[in-house]
Amino acid sequence: MPDEKDALMSLIPVERDEHSAPFFDAAAEGTLLLRYSPSSGEWSEPAAVVCSVTQARDLQWRPAAGTGELVSWTVKPGRRGPDGVRGPDQVIGLVELTEGPWLTLRLVDAEGLKLRAGLPVRVEFVRPEGGEPLPVGRVHD
Amino acid sequence: MSGGRTAVIAGLGLTEFGRIYGRTPADFAVEAIARAAEDAGLALGDIDGLLVNPGVGGDIDLRLQSTLQMRNTRLLATIQGFGSSAGQMVQYASMAIAAGMADVVACVYADAPLKEGKGAGASYAGQRRAMRGVGALPAAAGLKAAPERYAIAARRHMETYGTTSEQFGAVAVAARQWASMNPRAQMREPITLADHQASRMIADPLRLLDCCLVSNGGVAVILTTAERAAGLRRPPVHIWGWGQAHPGYVNRRGSEFGLVTGAARSGAEALKMAGIGVGDIDMCQIYDCFTYTTLVTLEDYGFCAKGEGGAFVASGAIAPGGSLPVNTGGGELSSFYMWGMTPLSEAVIQARGEGGDRQVPAHDLIMVSGNGGVLDFHSTLILSPHPRT
Repeated sequence: MPDEKDALMSLIPVERDEHSAPFFDAAAEGTLLLRYSPSSGEWSEPAAVVCSVTQARDLQWRPAAGTGELVSWTVKPGRRGPDGVRGPDQVIGLVELTEGPWLTLRLVDAEGLKLRAGLPVRVEFVRPEGGEPLPVGRVHD
Repeated sequence: MSGGRTAVIAGLGLTEFGRIYGRTPADFAVEAIARAAEDAGLALGDIDGLLVNPGVGGDIDLRLQSTLQMRNTRLLATIQGFGSSAGQMVQYASMAIAAGMADVVACVYADAPLKEGKGAGASYAGQRRAMRGVGALPAAAGLKAAPERYAIAARRHMETYGTTSEQFGAVAVAARQWASMNPRAQMREPITLADHQASRMIADPLRLLDCCLVSNGGVAVILTTAERAAGLRRPPVHIWGWGQAHPGYVNRRGSEFGLVTGAARSGAEALKMAGIGVGDIDMCQIYDCFTYTTLVTLEDYGFCAKGEGGAFVASGAIAPGGSLPVNTGGGELSSFYMWGMTPLSEAVIQARGEGGDRQVPAHDLIMVSGNGGVLDFHSTLILSPHPRT
């Protein structure tokens, strides 16, 4: 897991539920799971309930490569804390995974990078205190 | 619509807008409906249909019927299509009137998200939801409020078509120019492109002056048959065409999110129903929650080619004196934010020729957009002071 203090500070902890238990178990091992439809051979995002291409209801968890490319992004300026010090900016990316689904990911160590659509992104995981491990993206310029 | 019971807009009611405290959304809704009825020359007791669109607070609902002491309600529903609701309500009211379900239908939006002592940002900070499961991942990553979600759409448009922040700024400057002529507008001080560029970043690439206002208040329109409206107080506004399109962006490769919105299909449907082309439209009232939304909607409606919205708005086309007046009351950016009632109310005012200093001389055909969610929901209306020939 990357030593990414800024991301840890501002990522919001997420609890697991029944559907997401396999996702977070795999995340703890550093593996990204997506939803896969055997009948269509297509992949869908983790929250999908039916196949994002054929609407088939046969989705199952399957490991993904954890690679993709940047589609778009935003930068939220860091907020000033009670001490008047401005927190780090938050860079949030829309990432198209190699398998096709899009994930919204906090981009770590992205400040100062000249971001552009199409840059390769690798999925890593960080674990905010009190929550499950969360996927984040690292951009390779 | 043709046939014996063609619906028209016969009344418009607007409350005060902005930091108006101490009044509930129901208070605003009642005032807006009462004003719309008075505007039309109807009594509250004439209303036999009511469509209610609650804002983010969700504070107004079917109980509004009892609040208004309505006794003969034949049509009553809450409509929730977010920013597309106003257009939707006019469509459903028109069909109900045409079908004989009701004779006088009031459509109302009211909300009071602004609280005393709290900033506007806090009122639309995103829904509080349990951070459980994989559905919470985008919010956990920091994607919560509308500005950052629209920012990702806007950035994709910039990356794909070369659209610039200065072009977004041209939309903000034009809206303020129009607002300076609208006594109801909350923001009437002129701004320059430099002001836009110097305004603080909310969610890159969107700056403060790319974002709409937040307002407390209410707006209502009243529809009835053309026959009945002929004897009423105000000139009727005729409904030539409408459409809805809810693109349902699939979160995967090939999605047009940020590039093409529901306006593309919804607008084409409305033009087809009206039997006209986009070149026949005299002016547009666009749902402008952000400057980017105006730009992309104009592209999707076909006023310029896809990807050329930036150059189109920067040319001055949409500003006072331009070839396509857009958001002639200042829009949600500069006048007031009443969801789809902002563009709808300005269209009614312009169609009637009651725009005062900002009245556009050519106002025969007006295209009105409603956009909800993050470009997820779209409705279009085409309005005119003339009956459809």
